Amino acid sequence: MAEPLLELSGVHAAYGDAEVLRGIDLVVGEGEVVVLLGANGAGKTTTLRSICGMVGTRGSIRLGGTELVGRPTEWIIRRGIAHVPQGRGVFGVLNVEENLRVGAWGRKDTKAIEADIERWYGVFPRLGERRGQLAGGMSGGEQQMLAIARGLMARPKLLLLDEPSLGLAQIITRGLFAQLEDINREESVSMLIVEQNAELALSFASRGYVIESGSIVLSGTADEVRGNDEMRRAYLGY
Amino acid sequence: MSPNIDNPAFLLQLLVGGLTNGALYALVALAVVLVYKTTSHINLAQGEMATLGAFVVFALTQQGVQVWIAIAIALVVSFVFGAGVERGLIRPLEKRGIFPVVLATLALFLIINAVIAIIWGTQPVPAPEPFPREIEDKIDVLVGPPPFFITYVALGILAVLVLLLVGLWLLLEKTKLGLGYRAVAANREAAEVMGIPVGRMFMFGWGIAGALGTLAAALVAETAGTLDFNSMASILIFGLAAATLGGFDSVPGAAVGGLALGLIMAFVPGLFTFIEGDLSLVIALIVVLVVLLVRPQGLFGTKTLERV
Repeated sequence: MAEPLLELSGVHAAYGDAEVLRGIDLVVGEGEVVVLLGANGAGKTTTLRSICGMVGTRGSIRLGGTELVGRPTEWIIRRGIAHVPQGRGVFGVLNVEENLRVGAWGRKDTKAIEADIERWYGVFPRLGERRGQLAGGMSGGEQQMLAIARGLMARPKLLLLDEPSLGLAQIITRGLFAQLEDINREESVSMLIVEQNAELALSFASRGYVIESGSIVLSGTADEVRGNDEMRRAYLGY
Repeated sequence: MSPNIDNPAFLLQLLVGGLTNGALYALVALAVVLVYKTTSHINLAQGEMATLGAFVVFALTQQGVQVWIAIAIALVVSFVFGAGVERGLIRPLEKRGIFPVVLATLALFLIINAVIAIIWGTQPVPAPEPFPREIEDKIDVLVGPPPFFITYVALGILAVLVLLLVGLWLLLEKTKLGLGYRAVAANREAAEVMGIPVGRMFMFGWGIAGALGTLAAALVAETAGTLDFNSMASILIFGLAAATLGGFDSVPGAAVGGLALGLIMAFVPGLFTFIEGDLSLVIALIVVLVVLLVRPQGLFGTKTLERV
């Protein structure tokens, strides 16, 4: 495994009195793609939210050695994390291009921002065709592409993707993952992906974790996770 | 029915009068909307904060400051005060729910009202005069009878509204700050994970609202000729009615709602003389009632979806 970029150790998180994460240990290396699998309510989304400082968290979360726990979301995001939320969370009343500009909020390099906007239009031509259109009027797949491109506009070191395939047709999901693979290879953006579609995610990720009731119950290379009988029965269905 | 119903001069006079009052309601409605869009609160003290701002203009002009410079200073002061109220009073209470915030704005209403009365008394003071308002300060269009004329005050108020709308549009649509504000208004949590300082956008909205309110109060006082501690009490209600009509989360809606309400309140008693002008408050409330029954989101507002 490469140098650790993101390191969670003993992470507990709770909404009020309801403890959702009970001591998570997880590592994402530089340039690595890691997938986090688990049933509904196991704590996958909460793991991403606690990385971003959006839920009360104890323990240690380090990005490139810098401690993130206790910091405000805005500060954490500026350190180089982009979060593509579940259900996409695009700004429906803003147009496509405005959504991308919001993604570049923390950047000051105006020229490079313009170049990046054109670059993502190149990668996702549908977005370029609809640059002036309100995001709320686009299809689910287009909104998902927009959410990912918006996240990448921040030029993150680490991209957190929460259920990118949710509500998308198989064929669109495959195309999307192919593009994520390219982005990971060409931009060396590290990725932590929460995914229901375990098989597809494991074919793309180098390592995987399985979370159950707020604890990591299995971790290893993608092949090891895929080869685990329990895992297969629970999530892959064969 | 009014005997003047087919007299163009009479109708035009109602039109201009309605638009002028409507512009004032629009300014207040804009303040209400800019606060509501991001923080989803209705600031019940908006009118009193505005009155306080108008008294700042009054106090400065008493010291010999030129009236437009006094207004400019008061706008800056009210911006800072509005932003400060959000940061210091509203945000700490917000976590405790909607009722503490409503009560806090109500308390602020009473406190500011009392503070104004303590400092400047309860008797009306002569209003600052940004536009000349002598009896001859008007443009005669039709000699009459009945005559049709447009006062400089009416022209000034309408010009202020137009300039403000253009300015707000540029600020919200063409600047990075405006983009951040709209992103927070559209989806607070998503804006937060984009790294937008959400709290600062709340303060920005409250600050602009404070400044708009002060401008409205200064112009309301100008049309009334005097300023007192209750100057904005009824205007806030008309502003809220205008925001309801236009849609609570729509900036263009606030402008259209204000002007439309002004016209309704001019033409209804003007044409149906059995309706006394004193019933203006009732007319405004009927408009609110009809909007809430027929189109609760207002003319330009977005339908709220309850998310589970």
